[in-house]
Amino acid sequence: MARRPRPAEQITELVEGGPMLRLQQVHKSFGKLHVLRGIDLAVDRGGVVCVIGPSGSGKSTLLRCINLLEPPDDGKIFLEGKEITGSTKADLNFVRRRVGMVFQQFNLFPHKKAIENVSLAQERVLGRPKEEARAKSKALMERVGLSDKIDEYPERLSGGQQQRVAIARALAMDPHVMLFDEVTSALDPELVKEVLDVMRELAAEGMTMVVVTHEMGFARDIADRIAFMDDGLIVEEGYPEQVIDAPREERTRRFLGLLEH
Amino acid sequence: MSVFFHQYFDLKIINDNFSYVLQGFGQTILLSVVSATLALLWGLVLALLRQSPGRAMMPVRGLVIAYIDMLRGIPLLLIILLISGSLPFLTFLPEAVRAPSFFGKPDIFWYGVVSITLTYGAYYAEVYRAGLEAVPYGQMEAARSLGMSHSRAMRHVIVPQAIRKVIPPMLNDFIALMKDTSLVSVIAFVEVVKAGREVQATTFNSSALTLGAAMFVVVTIPLARMVDRLIARQQLA
Repeated sequence: MARRPRPAEQITELVEGGPMLRLQQVHKSFGKLHVLRGIDLAVDRGGVVCVIGPSGSGKSTLLRCINLLEPPDDGKIFLEGKEITGSTKADLNFVRRRVGMVFQQFNLFPHKKAIENVSLAQERVLGRPKEEARAKSKALMERVGLSDKIDEYPERLSGGQQQRVAIARALAMDPHVMLFDEVTSALDPELVKEVLDVMRELAAEGMTMVVVTHEMGFARDIADRIAFMDDGLIVEEGYPEQVIDAPREERTRRFLGLLEH
Repeated sequence: MSVFFHQYFDLKIINDNFSYVLQGFGQTILLSVVSATLALLWGLVLALLRQSPGRAMMPVRGLVIAYIDMLRGIPLLLIILLISGSLPFLTFLPEAVRAPSFFGKPDIFWYGVVSITLTYGAYYAEVYRAGLEAVPYGQMEAARSLGMSHSRAMRHVIVPQAIRKVIPPMLNDFIALMKDTSLVSVIAFVEVVKAGREVQATTFNSSALTLGAAMFVVVTIPLARMVDRLIARQQLA
């Protein structure tokens, strides 16, 4: 897949008009455990940022802070220029209607058919009429390649199929940003490709994405920038060929298995 | 040995008092169904209150937990006696609450309903809680990230899943409730046990009580088998 053209300016400079998503010195602790220790990150409109790093580095927490599932303890997050870390109810609605998330464990609603999974939030949150929601759900199921599974319950679907339904479900809300939390880590290897293909298409269509992943080849392919996280901090950030092929930091190199033992 | 059968299975006594005992059992069923319905609703209210998030709701959660602990820790018989004994004398309450007679049922019936509802509501609240906690946390995360509020997520995603899980324990608790209605006999309400006792007192023979036991078993055994089947079906899914 042809890589999209990259802006010539330095990574940390803001693109004119401001980034779609910006995190400024974000901290998050769970009790005594200081999980995020000051995260700075910016994602441009249409940009794809892949976050890699060892387990426990805080990658999932980072994503959950972006859509305020876990409100940060300190620091600021800006979505489309507006600060969302004011923690009022209006902020939550603003965020959740613009940011979609796909989880490692799929989290499909087991008591609803696949198409109902995709329609539910459209009807109950956005107030779309039933027929309109159903039409959109059908279109999205087709887009992820599952038009023959719309009336199946999640337990009858394979992991890869469930994950694609989960992606359709998130897309049904017309998000501006999509967050992916290791969405292929729980899949058998043969089912990973079908999910990654859907994500590739999404990226090519210009969706702003933050992807936490262990799939280095995939990250190198679709990312505009890659951030390596360890121990609650972004240790290294840059173009994919830089971070993955020629990492500067020793920790990055150790993670990628590039250091001699 | 024949004296055993005479004491417990005297067919003449059973025959003579059959409709009286059956009438009592009808009251047992009525009391069970009314109380269980109210207890199911009250238990759901308690469970949802206990679950409500946020620091502001902490006193509410504390009160609910205290209520549940107490009502599960005190014998139902005590509750029945406490309510029936003094409620009529609490003059600050309206007449309809102190001496209820809704739908033509006497006040002792309603004291029984209230006692059982308050007690079994607490048991049901814990069953609901187990059901709610059995729903994986990722479900709530998915629902919230789709923009659903906590209460919307509960209504459309969490509670429907929880209810499916709790039906077997609920049915078990209903069987226990049905048996516990017999305690209301201590305040002179004529359900099946009281009916049987009255016959026992006048005949010095327990056959009417055996009859009452048989009536119970006719209902509770099929219910118990239904629970077993539901559980087996859930294991397969």
